[in-house]
Amino acid sequence: MSLKVSPKAISAIVVAALVLFVIVSNWGGNPINAKNITTFLVVGIALGGIYAILAGGLVVTYATTGIFNFAHAAIGCFLAFAYWQCSVGWGWPTLVSLVVVLGILAPLIGIGLDRLIMRRLRDASLVVQLMVTVGLMLSFMGITLTIWKPTTARTLPQFFRDTSGVKIGDVTATWHRIITVIVAIGIAVLLRWLLYRTRLGISMRAVVDSRSLAGLTGAKPSVVSGTSWALGCMTAGLAGILIAPETGLVVENLALLIVVAAAAAAIAQLKSLPWAIAGGLIIGLSKSFAGVFLSFGKDWSYAPEAIPAVILFIALLFLPQARLETGKIKITKRTERLTKPWEALAGSVFVFLLVTFWAKGWIPWFGTNFGERSDVWLGRGAGFMVLGVITLSLVPLIGWAGQVSFANFAIAGIGAVLFSHFGGQNGDPKGILLVMAVCAVVGVAVALPALRLKGLYLALATLAFAEFTDKVIVRHPSMIDPSASGTLFKPLKLFGFSISTNSGDREAFVIFLALIFSIFMLGFMLMRRGRFARRWIALSDSPAASATIGVNLTVQKVLVFALSGAVAGFAGCMLGISSGALRVDSFPMFVGLPLVLLLAVQGVRYPIAAFMAVIGLALFPAINELLGKPPWLSAIELIGPGIAAITMAFRPEGAVFYAGRDLAGFLPWRGDAREEKAIAVAKLREQDIGRDEIGELGLTRPFSPDKISQLDRVLHVADELDEHPLVPEASAVGDLHPDGQNGAARTPVGAVNTEVGQ
Amino acid sequence: MSDVILTTDDIVVKFGVLQAVSNASIEVQSGFITGLIGPNGAGKTTLFNVITGLQEPTQGHVALQGVDITKKSPYRRARLGIARTFQKLEAFSSLSARENVLVAAEQRRAWDKSKFDAGAVADEMLERVGIADVADFMVGTLPTGTARLVELARALALDPKVLLLDEASSGLTEDETEDMAILLRRLAADGLGILLVEHDMSFVMGTCQYIYVLDFGRIIAQGTPGEVQADPKVQAAYLGALAESDAEVPA
Repeated sequence: MSLKVSPKAISAIVVAALVLFVIVSNWGGNPINAKNITTFLVVGIALGGIYAILAGGLVVTYATTGIFNFAHAAIGCFLAFAYWQCSVGWGWPTLVSLVVVLGILAPLIGIGLDRLIMRRLRDASLVVQLMVTVGLMLSFMGITLTIWKPTTARTLPQFFRDTSGVKIGDVTATWHRIITVIVAIGIAVLLRWLLYRTRLGISMRAVVDSRSLAGLTGAKPSVVSGTSWALGCMTAGLAGILIAPETGLVVENLALLIVVAAAAAAIAQLKSLPWAIAGGLIIGLSKSFAGVFLSFGKDWSYAPEAIPAVILFIALLFLPQARLETGKIKITKRTERLTKPWEALAGSVFVFLLVTFWAKGWIPWFGTNFGERSDVWLGRGAGFMVLGVITLSLVPLIGWAGQVSFANFAIAGIGAVLFSHFGGQNGDPKGILLVMAVCAVVGVAVALPALRLKGLYLALATLAFAEFTDKVIVRHPSMIDPSASGTLFKPLKLFGFSISTNSGDREAFVIFLALIFSIFMLGFMLMRRGRFARRWIALSDSPAASATIGVNLTVQKVLVFALSGAVAGFAGCMLGISSGALRVDSFPMFVGLPLVLLLAVQGVRYPIAAFMAVIGLALFPAINELLGKPPWLSAIELIGPGIAAITMAFRPEGAVFYAGRDLAGFLPWRGDAREEKAIAVAKLREQDIGRDEIGELGLTRPFSPDKISQLDRVLHVADELDEHPLVPEASAVGDLHPDGQNGAARTPVGAVNTEVGQ
Repeated sequence: MSDVILTTDDIVVKFGVLQAVSNASIEVQSGFITGLIGPNGAGKTTLFNVITGLQEPTQGHVALQGVDITKKSPYRRARLGIARTFQKLEAFSSLSARENVLVAAEQRRAWDKSKFDAGAVADEMLERVGIADVADFMVGTLPTGTARLVELARALALDPKVLLLDEASSGLTEDETEDMAILLRRLAADGLGILLVEHDMSFVMGTCQYIYVLDFGRIIAQGTPGEVQADPKVQAAYLGALAESDAEVPA
């Protein structure tokens, strides 16, 4: 027998060795004795218990609604502040505050979200689902920051802080920690019981697999999803209230717990409640272990904060490969045509001229002093154009290949830091090529563990990487030396020009960036007509069909990540030049998110949308200044993109698409668009019944005569109805088979048309 | 006579306790149209997925031209000459019909060293399945039947040795179904091996030279259309399926 070593075993050994290496090389020197071990366990289990509650709620919501809620921790954050308001701010008794926040406010938020937003996302693409929940995350953060201004420090006291706690050996476990553990166990048992032992729970689990079949269990889908979201918000709020005394009542800290929850969810393969709880405990214990036994030197002082991100990556390595599923295609009834080369050129020239005119002062910029040009505004303009190039790097990746990445801002950050070492410090443009190459590799490396998995894991991995970059990579002194002062970048020498952000050069710098942006935009628009973009779109539309026409999915994904990473790296070099100096806290995860959201809102498939996204991004601070910076707009840079993204639940395709559909007909040379619109209007009159509706007719609502006639037309059975009246499908056996999973809607047709026809 | 091009040997697929395919062995010959029929949920699509590599079998082997390909990934099988369409549409819905076919034709360059113009191949295939008039429409906006033809053209653009068609005629009008039958016969005459899953019995019986009948994952009968139709087990399987759904027993 040949000795076969599975790749997973190798990964396990490598990961174990690396973890061991980190532990040994950072050993803090605390003796391994009963006291330290007890401390480690008490702290770890209490912390892990909170994480478990958070992750458990997230996984239950995902398992029962199919939507991964990136806003989970941010909602918890909002509820923790609400609890502070009740118990501390207004001085209500603890119990009353808890009931008001967790028993009334949390379920209301959950049911409201379900009613207004989440139900519309059921059949939306993954990109739209992610954008909407990330938008919710930013919105909840922004709302919390607006109501409870961060300028005031708040603390949420521990429960039973006046009691002395319980002695375990030499260690005192506070009652807050003990309560936490008890509540965590209680929640775990409760959720488990609810999902597996109650009728509602069984319906909840069934809904994800097949909404129409779940109707047969007698539960209303709306009740089921409402309950899921209410439960999700309650667990998030509970976790937020329990953890706030430990982390402090700080919006960013609490909302960042989404990385923790995501890591635990990855361990749970997104759906297993027991494993989500185990995952929470693993992360809690790891953090506690690092706190008690490890001592990271000053070079890696932030490393403990990156533990959840690292655990997420490790978990991804060991997940089973995703199957190429069929029958899950979300058909979009979308008409669009390829942009012609001359249109692409015209668009790029227009963008270039628009920015140039603005830089020249021919288009006034509104702000505090209306129309007044200043170096400050030119500097911000340069910054926005750089962000535009980063946004552009997402178009092939998210828009075409459908690979959602939140890492590109972090990659650009790495690019900026690298350029300050390799060329930027001398103004040598050759360094840019090197940085682009490195960033291409980084882009691929981030994606690699998640490539063989479902798209959602990729989004989680890139989010974790953004967090890891902020907390570990750029904070190492060899990347950014915090003691270095002054500008890290010399003016870039290119074709005899000197490009820098120095006040005299700033106007030219903006024009240079406009040129760069236009060239990239033109390149991408032309690329959309070529075979690579075609192949990537095909891959995104149907991975299974792509594979069966001979596309090596992994190679194509690697290519698109490399391209996107390289462009982000280029943008990073420009980011470095435009900011002059770099700070270790320049690249927080949350800063990159609005770019992705606004691009999606404008239309993630279209390069021009990157420009519109940046205009949008610039508009939020501009409006704020125009209105005189009122306090209720203080968080507009979070809430603005957040709310814009939430609107995608209603208009998923992006503004460029709707503009093209509704306005292209006004262009004199677009007779085709006018014709198409006429056809679309005609079609609307004989509106088809939706596929989804077919599945639910008769199950969740009664047949009505007009629905029946629509149904007949869709099913082409109108003539046969006299002989074979349409009966609801009785072949439950058929539906259990993999062929007939969604059969409820379709099998009656088969039965009438074929078998009987024999 | 013709050569056996594709074989499955003793394929078993289990989903948990459910055995979707049980010991299925079939053969597809070049130049012939082979049918695979059976009631809903009999395991036809699962067997297709096993052949194209989308579903790993619990047991058994798939061989193309005598070479075992059971462990090969889907894209390698495509490069070896297996093409397919899908029961539920898997057309690239945000590309135009022509782009759909073009992607496949361009992909063929990865393994087919002969010189060909991918654009011309795409146009030819669209012409062949009779949808050249909708070449520039986004597939997502096309009716299901037309989108199926796009899938067929896409599969043909690979210049495959074996073509697997999953419910090729569903969503097509009677005339279109007729055209499809003529097209398939012509393709087979050119040496292509075709395996067809179909619900439309008159289409199957009129098109296929050899038929396998699958019921509850098991091959319960095989033979020429005449032999299969006369087989009491086949009648029982179909009648049984009808009896379960309380439908009338046809004469």
